[in-house]
Amino acid sequence: HSDMRAVGKWTWLTLKLHLLRHNVLSFVSSRTGSDFTRRQYDVIVVGGGHAGTEAAAAAARLGAETLLITQKIMTIGALSCNPSLGGVGKGQLVREVDALDGLCGRAGDAAGVHFSILNRSKGPAVWGPRAQLDRERYRQFIQSELLSTPRLTVLEGSVDELLVSQPNPEEPGHHRVTGIRLVDGSHPILSSSVVLTTGTFLSGSLFMGQTTSPGGRMGDAQSCAGLSYTLKETLGLRVGRLRTGTPPRIVKESVDLSLAQLQAPDKQPTPFSFLNTHTRCKPEEQLPCYLTHTTPGVERVVRESVHLNCHIQQDAKGPRYCPSIESRVLRFPGRRHQVWLEPEGLTSDLLYPQGLSMTMPPELQLRLLREIPALHRAEIRTPGYGVQYDFVCPTQLTPSLQVKSTQGLFLAGQINGTTGYEEAAAQGLWAGVNAGRTALSLPPMALSRTQSYIGVLIDDLVGRGVTEPYRMFTSRAEFRTYLRPDNADLRLTPRGFEEVGCVTLRRYKKAVSVRDGLQEALMALQSVALSSTRWREKLVCSLTLLYHVSFSLSGLDLLQYKDVSFEMLASAFPECLSQYFEYSQRLKIEAVYRPHCEKQSREMERIRSEESLSLPSDMDYLSLPVSLSQEVREILDRVRPNTVSLSKTTTNHISTVYAILVKCYKYLQIMCLIDKLGYFLCQ
Amino acid sequence: MLPCSWGLWRSAIHTLKTFRASPSARGLCIPTRAVCDAETIFALSSGHGRCGVAVVRVSGPASSMVLRNMAGLTQALPPPRTALLRRITDPKSKELLDRGLVLWFKGPHSFTGEDSAEFHIHGGPAVITAVLQALGSLEGVRPAEAGEFTRRAFHAGKLGLTEVEGLGDLIHAETEAQRRQALRQMDGELGRLYQDWSYRLKRCLAHVEAFIDFSEDELIEDGVLNQVDSSVRQLETEIERHLKDERRGERLRTGVQVVIAGATNAGKSSLLNTLCKNNTHTQSMTHCRANPHFNGQPCMSALSHTPKYAFFLMTKSLFLMVEQADLTLVVVDSTQLPPDPQLVAAFLQQHLSTVLPSPEAGMTAASDKVLLVLNKSDLVPEEQRERTEGELRERPGLPPACFLSCSTSTGLEDFLTVLQSRVKTLCGDPLSGAPSLTQARHRAHLQQSVQALNQYHQYRDQDLALAAEGVRLALTHLGRITGRVGAEEILDIIFRDFCIGK
Repeated sequence: HSDMRAVGKWTWLTLKLHLLRHNVLSFVSSRTGSDFTRRQYDVIVVGGGHAGTEAAAAAARLGAETLLITQKIMTIGALSCNPSLGGVGKGQLVREVDALDGLCGRAGDAAGVHFSILNRSKGPAVWGPRAQLDRERYRQFIQSELLSTPRLTVLEGSVDELLVSQPNPEEPGHHRVTGIRLVDGSHPILSSSVVLTTGTFLSGSLFMGQTTSPGGRMGDAQSCAGLSYTLKETLGLRVGRLRTGTPPRIVKESVDLSLAQLQAPDKQPTPFSFLNTHTRCKPEEQLPCYLTHTTPGVERVVRESVHLNCHIQQDAKGPRYCPSIESRVLRFPGRRHQVWLEPEGLTSDLLYPQGLSMTMPPELQLRLLREIPALHRAEIRTPGYGVQYDFVCPTQLTPSLQVKSTQGLFLAGQINGTTGYEEAAAQGLWAGVNAGRTALSLPPMALSRTQSYIGVLIDDLVGRGVTEPYRMFTSRAEFRTYLRPDNADLRLTPRGFEEVGCVTLRRYKKAVSVRDGLQEALMALQSVALSSTRWREKLVCSLTLLYHVSFSLSGLDLLQYKDVSFEMLASAFPECLSQYFEYSQRLKIEAVYRPHCEKQSREMERIRSEESLSLPSDMDYLSLPVSLSQEVREILDRVRPNTVSLSKTTTNHISTVYAILVKCYKYLQIMCLIDKLGYFLCQ
Repeated sequence: MLPCSWGLWRSAIHTLKTFRASPSARGLCIPTRAVCDAETIFALSSGHGRCGVAVVRVSGPASSMVLRNMAGLTQALPPPRTALLRRITDPKSKELLDRGLVLWFKGPHSFTGEDSAEFHIHGGPAVITAVLQALGSLEGVRPAEAGEFTRRAFHAGKLGLTEVEGLGDLIHAETEAQRRQALRQMDGELGRLYQDWSYRLKRCLAHVEAFIDFSEDELIEDGVLNQVDSSVRQLETEIERHLKDERRGERLRTGVQVVIAGATNAGKSSLLNTLCKNNTHTQSMTHCRANPHFNGQPCMSALSHTPKYAFFLMTKSLFLMVEQADLTLVVVDSTQLPPDPQLVAAFLQQHLSTVLPSPEAGMTAASDKVLLVLNKSDLVPEEQRERTEGELRERPGLPPACFLSCSTSTGLEDFLTVLQSRVKTLCGDPLSGAPSLTQARHRAHLQQSVQALNQYHQYRDQDLALAAEGVRLALTHLGRITGRVGAEEILDIIFRDFCIGK
């Protein structure tokens, strides 16, 4: 303790609770509170946003002694842009993060004030669970979760530089990370792995009108100059520049909501988390959203202000799907654009105008807002602004999100060129898992595209790189009908416990019992088989489809039909089906999708088997003694494919590159064989 | 010196094993092993072109079934790796296709490590085509993709370094050849047709995906889907129609080039028009007259019912010289023939040497590259015509000659019979490429594409995700012909067509 006081300026927060949780990997014993004097951790996480909090929590769940460093403890878990979580594609990510025991799903349930499932009419595979959040509640939940996580220490401070040393010659890479040094700390803090989740703070600059100032978020200190230097100069990482923006926040009282269209939430909120049966917010306490539209006046103000708007004149790449109102109006002129007015929380007096991200001078922002009927008297609390920031080209990462050239250095979140809380949380969780595994001397792990949206996200990032801020869409997933929000627990939780080690026993048990229950129910459904005539009698309804069927149908077959619900079948066979009522919705979904998933299984198997053919990341393609053209060597050397399958996505000459990689792979395999190891690869 | 360090390699092995051991994948929705079994594939494994023996290889779980069905083995399979002389029959029609050697390889003792079979058949293109088509008609059996045998062999750990090197080079060469072939195909009308389908399908998919990923928050209206409905329906109809008109594709792909040559006013244009039963070509034919002696005309126009293709090939063949043509129709004005039938042969010989670029061409042509068309037969006295015909029939060294009247259509039937048998021979010539394999592959993919599109309509109102799956699948199959379509390409269309602002 005295040591800590000597440091003085640092605010140490330590874990107060030591819950002894079961963990397959918890061979690192739980430590006591005096540990905060330590100068050595397994994992250091830099940044307390969505990626950082998930990373720190995941590493600690794995059993790694973890330190989370953030500029301000009070901004841990802050929602710096929109007050919402989930959506189409993003909701799937939240469910998957939750299935791996991450924080954001439960935080969403605790903080949500308006729940709805998007795409309700379009099929359960593309349902998008979404919630408007109370910013305060979200932050509180995340902070209290982190502070009660064993083996996790939170430290307020600014990182000045990454400490790197010679690489471990046993493993690929040119450097090895050994810890960090704080801006005002004299001595370093050492660790086996470091996760950087610095968001927009890497050489970030803020734009509003014609003024520019360094920083990553309005109101926070600028930072990371030293870190930028280490990444770019010492480690030689390629970086790119992206931009994003946030709308002005409007005083709720100044808005004439009667001129906007009311959007009610779902009557019965659906929780994000598989652990929760209901949300903290009661159904009747939910807050509505409002929909309004831009007018020609808005377009006029944008056009008049272009010359006063540095941000949109720059050519850093912005997202095509979340553009500022300026780019929307300039790209699609003469249209009405939607503006959603979203609540910021139960007690907040602000509204968040989704769709009105803008960077013009504040006085023009006000003029623009007031061109919209519902906002004709609007007052701005904080104006909108733009951010431009560096990101590290993610093709320099492995599928475990480690920097290929630097052992133990992991990156997650916007630093990898993504956008969105959910994308950040997903990467953070996976980077935290692998940082923890590395520190505990376990091999890195990758998630398959065939198994999760997180796998798709990471595979896209490290395999293709980004040209604009990357956001998840369901269309990115080849196996969308299998990667559904309803079955994320079955896809990920057992593996998360048995192999990865990031899932707690409680959740595992629950997932296993659900899995077994569903399995039993499906078997019970299969066991009831009748002719179509008998079914029609039993169900007392006119199933026209059944008239064409001559063979006998099982309950499972029948459940595929549009008008048949599990409840109908259960009432026909109460003795064997009624006990499975709790799964009725999941059973219906399963019955409809199962045949399609089976059809895709071959393709899945192929992708999976190719994903598993991993190529060493330090392979010397330039001198590989196989016949390859120099051009192909250079491509491979630049791209450094992680797996045979990944390389297929990078170039078009599928067969050729496949043959080449088979060669490279085979070459190494033969070498391994000599080393009495190679046979394993074939098995 | 090894380019990689062993530590990582070991860890890679570990990861690999972890993946394989993954029990979670055996969870609820993952289908059982039986469903995951690989499909059975087949391909002509010997080179294309004229050859004595052709080897067709089959690999996959259904190989034994294929062998039984094709080689009429009702009882036991032959001992592995032993050649057996069998009658090879079409499993559906029971028609005899060839007599040849069959070999059975029980996995894992085969090239691919799977159950395999080989058919050693006669190298004629007709036999090869028939056998490949018969194989394709079997349930669960499909044509192999490029390099697929090697890939399977690799996955089974069957290849050594030298073998991989050799096969890699082979695949490379094959890929090159395929690329060139694909380019040639894609250059043509058929290629444009496929590309057009692919483009329209991409748009359909992009619009469905936009509706799924964005419509809740954006101004994407239901009308978008209605457009997709009709586009998908139209695509289905077009592909189906294309599939039904089997032979057209074949000819289009191989494109037998036919030149109609003859002196001015001999009736070349009339002949073409007669063949096409369509006068729309007259205009482009004026271009053909730029060359005083012959017009370049494809036989496509003679046989296809679709003037569009004829037109295309015709303009392409403007520069076609007779010597490059697969078949030359030399048109002669019958009224110009010497009245004495005895002299006709010499006259025609003389005439050929002026019309054809080299005298040799005329001679070899006698075998199968030239047909003589004696036009305006209605203007010649019947008796003279008959005598001339008789005279020419017994004359070796002269190409077959047909009397024909373009204006009255007299003799057209006979001429068409001769022409068709000639073209048929030409189409079966392996030197003109090996169409059957790619063609069978295209057919398979197009059929699957149509089936997949069906799924769109089936689920359109029930489950848009499943409906979209149909369009995706259709595009994947079409993409096997026209090139892969990535998610990014679809997103590009979405962001181009819609203003996504949330």
